[in-house]
Amino acid sequence: MSFEIPIGPQHPALKEPIGVRVTVDGEIIRDADLHLGYNHRGVEKLAEQKNWTQNIYLMERICGICSHSHATCYVQGVEKLMEIEPPKRGLFIRILVSELERVHSHLLWLGVAGHEAGFDSFFMYVWRDREIVMDILETISGNRVHYAINTIGGVRRDLDELQAKHILDSLEVLRQRSEYYQKLGTTEPSFVARLAGVGYLSKEDAIELCAVGPTLRASGVPMDVRKDDPYAVYDEVPFEVCTADTCDVLGRTVVRIKELMQSYNIIEYLLKNLPDGPIAVRAPRRAKPNEVVSRYEAPRGENIHYIKSNGTDKPERLKVRAPTLANYAATIKMLKNGFIADVPLIFAAIDPCICCAERSVAIVEEKTQQERIVTMSSLRELNLKITNYQARKREAEWPL
Amino acid sequence: MKIGVFIPELLRHLFKKPATVDYPFKKLEVPPGFRGSPYLRPELCIACRACERDCPAEAIEITLTNEAEKKFNMIIHNDRCIHCAQCVDSCPTEAMQMDNLFEISDYDRHDMKKQWDYVRAVVKPKAEPKS
Repeated sequence: MSFEIPIGPQHPALKEPIGVRVTVDGEIIRDADLHLGYNHRGVEKLAEQKNWTQNIYLMERICGICSHSHATCYVQGVEKLMEIEPPKRGLFIRILVSELERVHSHLLWLGVAGHEAGFDSFFMYVWRDREIVMDILETISGNRVHYAINTIGGVRRDLDELQAKHILDSLEVLRQRSEYYQKLGTTEPSFVARLAGVGYLSKEDAIELCAVGPTLRASGVPMDVRKDDPYAVYDEVPFEVCTADTCDVLGRTVVRIKELMQSYNIIEYLLKNLPDGPIAVRAPRRAKPNEVVSRYEAPRGENIHYIKSNGTDKPERLKVRAPTLANYAATIKMLKNGFIADVPLIFAAIDPCICCAERSVAIVEEKTQQERIVTMSSLRELNLKITNYQARKREAEWPL
Repeated sequence: MKIGVFIPELLRHLFKKPATVDYPFKKLEVPPGFRGSPYLRPELCIACRACERDCPAEAIEITLTNEAEKKFNMIIHNDRCIHCAQCVDSCPTEAMQMDNLFEISDYDRHDMKKQWDYVRAVVKPKAEPKS
């Protein structure tokens, strides 16, 4: 006999609101179904009412962890629309911040993975070390979370010698700590045993279900926008695409730790080869009617923004495809034939960012097995039915 | 694989100072260039409304109070402010500035409003406003 367990939208195992219905057979998950739209905020519609400059800050607030990813993806697209080329120093600082963000996001994820696997002291040590990179970001941009370093045509703040030295010094500490965590992750037997074999996603499935980012790379597919379709100055920065072939949560952990090391190398390269010159060019207020697709490798995977302009100072359409949305299909596959206890771990392994992904909304009514889209008129009918039912209830006698 | 690889690290940390600070009694210093709340230097404002136009949170309101004397009133709604400092970037005369305060919460959002009544300054803009 099988029955369904609803998990979420609000559930202690989930960090952000998402609805999952899992059909279980004893302890084993046979089927899973995701319900999106709980965290819909109408960001895309709001973007159509704000001008190009205001939208940078709106895009930044799609997500708190990958705020620079969304802002950069948007700004790159708008720069293409306005046909302006940011100066080299501006691009260097922009991708410096993006790599620092990747470091902080991966460290955050590593801590969460430790927490979900029941290794809470690991979680606390990792998050303490994450403060180092948060402090770097605060020094160079003026805020810990929303860096607001991007502007259309470059970046807003320059980097001085003192700051560069501060970053390099702190990076040394971070590198040592990450190496320690890598050693720990591969030698602590209980930690490895908890992660290995959980959430299996084969290479073929990963490609077929269009997984992105570390989830895809952990299944042995070396795909990275920074390498495949280099934006900004990634074509001249030496780095490797990290993969793992275990196809499970352990592989995803290994990929992220390896990527941390690559990010440290990139940051070091950027700081040592920082060119002189201006950091931004002046941008026009309007963009010609055109459309553009901008791609960006966020810490969680490929981020896509589609921007359409109509000659005014506001976008006509702005569509955001966050990496988490691309990973949902693969998550369902990972959940199948796993245990209920693995749900938080598997969810954590794709590094879900629900507030990034919730772009669309549909009113869905859940019955035992069926779902249908409810129209306004049928909602009204339903409402009347309930009122009638309550009227009958009012007539009911007090049972005592 | 060996058992208890984490134990030496744990023991080492027994004799270290805590990583946190005693916040309300001891405060960390914010770095220079920290984005606090915006404020106006009315002697420099030419009332070009560049900040009002570019504010993503619509937190800045400039109204003309007396047309003959060129008097203006500016309200910064700090409850709406998202501390992005775009107004500072947009301002052509450096009249908008950011302070470095971070303890800016209040019990009532209406108390967070800041107001200035001023006569429009006659300052030549140093540079074109950044978009």
